[in-house]
Amino acid sequence: MTMSTTSAGLEFHDVTVAYGRRPVLWNVDLTVPGACLFGIIGPNGAGKSTLLKAALGLVPLAGGEVRILGAPLEQVRARVGYVPQRESVDWDFPVTVTDVVLMGTYARLGWLRRPGPRERSLAAECLDRVGLADVADRQIGRLSGGQQQRVFLARALAQQADVYFLDEPMAGVDARSQERIFRVLAELRAEGRLVVMVHHDLRSAGDWFDAVALIDMRLVAAGPVAEVLTPENLRRTYAGRLDLLDEIGRAVAEGGRTP
Amino acid sequence: MIDADSTHLWMHFWAIATAATVSAGCALVGSFLVVRRLSLLGDAISHAVLPGIVLAVLAGGRPGGAGVFLGAVVAGLVTVWLTNLLGTHAGLAEDAGAGVAFTTLFAIGVVLVSALASRVDIDPGCVLYGILELVPFDTVPILGLEVPRALLAAATVLVVLVIGAVVCWKELVFTAFDPAAARAAGLPVGVITAGLLVATSLATVASFEAVGAILVVAMLAVPAAAAELLVRRFHLMLVVAVGLGVAGSILGYLAAWRFNTNAAGMIAVVLGIEYVVAALVAPGDGIVARVVSRESLRWRVACEDRLASLWRAEEGDAAALAPRTLLDRLAQARLVFWGRIVPGRAGGLTDIGREEARVIVRSHRLWEAWLGRHVALPLDHLHPPAEWIEHHLGAEVRGRIAADLEGHEGDPHGRDIPSEEFPPRSADEPAR
Repeated sequence: MTMSTTSAGLEFHDVTVAYGRRPVLWNVDLTVPGACLFGIIGPNGAGKSTLLKAALGLVPLAGGEVRILGAPLEQVRARVGYVPQRESVDWDFPVTVTDVVLMGTYARLGWLRRPGPRERSLAAECLDRVGLADVADRQIGRLSGGQQQRVFLARALAQQADVYFLDEPMAGVDARSQERIFRVLAELRAEGRLVVMVHHDLRSAGDWFDAVALIDMRLVAAGPVAEVLTPENLRRTYAGRLDLLDEIGRAVAEGGRTP
Repeated sequence: MIDADSTHLWMHFWAIATAATVSAGCALVGSFLVVRRLSLLGDAISHAVLPGIVLAVLAGGRPGGAGVFLGAVVAGLVTVWLTNLLGTHAGLAEDAGAGVAFTTLFAIGVVLVSALASRVDIDPGCVLYGILELVPFDTVPILGLEVPRALLAAATVLVVLVIGAVVCWKELVFTAFDPAAARAAGLPVGVITAGLLVATSLATVASFEAVGAILVVAMLAVPAAAAELLVRRFHLMLVVAVGLGVAGSILGYLAAWRFNTNAAGMIAVVLGIEYVVAALVAPGDGIVARVVSRESLRWRVACEDRLASLWRAEEGDAAALAPRTLLDRLAQARLVFWGRIVPGRAGGLTDIGREEARVIVRSHRLWEAWLGRHVALPLDHLHPPAEWIEHHLGAEVRGRIAADLEGHEGDPHGRDIPSEEFPPRSADEPAR
């Protein structure tokens, strides 16, 4: 694992996230070094996506602070790329693959400016990188799940960010697409960028990530794969629901008191 | 039918121009609502603006004036806010929340109109159905021309909407497709969405007088939904939706004139017909396209089966089946016409027909052999799948299957698999 001594890529300081009043992610304190491939792993409903969305400012924090590249999100937003879950959008939307990739350049272009030849060639380059150059003009609904996921990745690449957040990019994706995606992510790391990714498959975690965080409503452990994915940590993450946090959360939501 | 009196022609012209302008604005906004699956919200806003209009008139606003527009926009936004409120705090599903919010607001509007009938000059009937035919009688002079006030309002709104769409194009499209990613990229998603809702209110108010609360929903949703069926790019969808909306308004008005009926109603009917036609003729997924594709496949299968049956007869395995069904006979006639089968009763294959038939039988037996090798299937179950797949194998895949079967000559029933080329190429001859 490469440890950047200069500055951390991503820091969570005592972050708590609540839906309504009910906390779903408790007191996460986590530092991710720059330039690495970092996995967020945990069972269903553990709050993995929520942690990612908290970092991106997509869900409000009930407490704590997030810093990216040593600064608050607002100051570095242009340097942050996001690949949402594939199911989060309507793939019947009338746009082509290139249209979607070009969206990655929109924020940088600002108001009133249209994507020009420079943006188009960048989009073509990004599509080539994820192996989709031959479907550039196709309607996005006609792609396979793996191809759709790679379109999302290409859009994030077109953003030319320094920190990438990916929400379960391997869910429902064929083996060829998975390999392609991981190869691109490894390239990003080699270029000195930070890649943070929610992942659900424990078996493949060791092959790909430099470091991981195990999450189940709270941070169980974080660090290099070999140190974190121990039987004891996995048992603490997956062994059973945390009835205590559940119960307290419900009491907080209802404004009552636990038994 | 056309009235010779030129004043009357002018009246009709103004009414049609108003309907078309209103429709263009609605189609523009409606396209965004349709791709964001928010058509219901358009429905809600179009009804809920009524109390806003009534209160604005009560406060001294002139019908069609800026004050009334403001009242309607506020009422539209209150609907959205109420819907969200019911959703997050009362735990009501979004569609149910919208249902509660807009019907209640609309009802308040109806109650206000009837209770204050003496002080507010609004006719509940024309709120519901519009009075397109009366639009030309309320005019304002512009450059010496008496232009209907409703047209002026609709045209102003249309210009505002077009400018808004052009200025915020990228932001609107990104937000519509993937709001979370747009927000993460730093786009003002909340402002853009609120802008779309204000635009919906504006388009609705501008349409109110001409088409009424019920039919404005048709103008918002139907041309956009039809356009979505016809094209695959969003900017084309906008153009087609506006085109369909304008065409529907003109045709609907003319039809209403011809049949002497309610113009707004007829326009909505024509828009509905446009949608049905779009669903029929849409490329790829349209009903006509699907029927054509299915029937042409059936037709090709019948011809190929006919050829294969004659080929097997020549092989000496079985007697050729006589064509039985109508489709078989038509296929036989077509094959004779195209020189694949020799005319006459005995009707054997011509050289070119034999060439094609061989490839089909080759596909069939290759597939049987492949299934026999890779899929656990009893020997007597191999024929039906091969009878189906033989029509869908191309030269490249046949080559791959043949390579996979290298060294396992013959099909599982012990018959030869015909060669890809004829006469079979000898080993030292280069490939064609």
